[in-house]
Amino acid sequence: MEADETLMAAVAVGDGAALAELCRRWEEPLFRLLARQTGGRDVDDLYQETWLRVVRAAGRFSRGRPFRPWLFQIAINCCRDWARRRRVDPLEHATEASEPSDGGSTRIDAAIDAERLLASLPAAQREVVVLRYYHDLPEGEVAEILGCPPGTVKSRLHHAIARLVAVVRGGAPRAGARGARA
Amino acid sequence: MITCEDVNEMRVRGRAPADDALAHAQTCLRCQAEERSLAAVAGVLAASAVPSAPAGLSARVLTAAAPLLAANAARAARRYLVRALAAGLAPLPAILAFDLWLVRAAYDLLTRFLPDALSLYVVANWVGLLALLLALTYGAIPFLAARQTPALHPRSA
Repeated sequence: MEADETLMAAVAVGDGAALAELCRRWEEPLFRLLARQTGGRDVDDLYQETWLRVVRAAGRFSRGRPFRPWLFQIAINCCRDWARRRRVDPLEHATEASEPSDGGSTRIDAAIDAERLLASLPAAQREVVVLRYYHDLPEGEVAEILGCPPGTVKSRLHHAIARLVAVVRGGAPRAGARGARA
Repeated sequence: MITCEDVNEMRVRGRAPADDALAHAQTCLRCQAEERSLAAVAGVLAASAVPSAPAGLSARVLTAAAPLLAANAARAARRYLVRALAAGLAPLPAILAFDLWLVRAAYDLLTRFLPDALSLYVVANWVGLLALLLALTYGAIPFLAARQTPALHPRSA
């Protein structure tokens, strides 16, 4: 099996089969990352935009660099651009999503709770929690993806957990969390 | 001395509390409440399920990326051609200088045995042949470069 980095070199010279293989390998992790970052909105479009940016930037990808942080960095930048364009509040979606739950399963409710919990975080803290907690990436890699020092990742994670604990204790995300964006 | 903040710090960083921290946590009500909250947070986060990528999403991406891939292929082909031409043209001055020296030497040698006009005719023919060979060689570079461009030989899917 060819390494992702080798496939990227092939994408840089226009190899569609290499791109198809990369899409197949990274479809689920990338989709989940985008879904968690945006609260499930416009994920298909962001997924496509991420890959288009990957293809556009393929010529600048250096082979010595690991592919995953590079891909996730592009995905996170897509999400930031999307949030800037839309000026959205992740909490809005969580609230909307909770309304039509028609007394449904506890799994859906739990997922909505998790979504609300994540939405209560400022974007910068949410990025750290999603990458560290859901994708289980080491702090160094999270720092590389977010373009900040590892110490900043640690402190954001610390503040995020403290905030999440406060939210869980309070029973629901507070309105004060809405305005807080990093 | 271990404080509640130290214990909390270890938990947040995902580190197993040291013995003294563990002893502190077992007797401290604040730490125990904190631990319960952290467990609750972990439980809620773990329950988060996002839907899988819809079928056909990657196919849509590949369709949308086709023009960009074609642009990448064209760019790669151009880069490859420029490199091949540069590699081919780099020794050209030396080749021309050597050919000139050879033609002059041949003309000098021929004029010793043949009339000047005939020597000139033979050497001119030779120069023409050399020029034709050089033109064919350099003319073939773009075709050879195009055949060898990696983009034109994609891997099987």
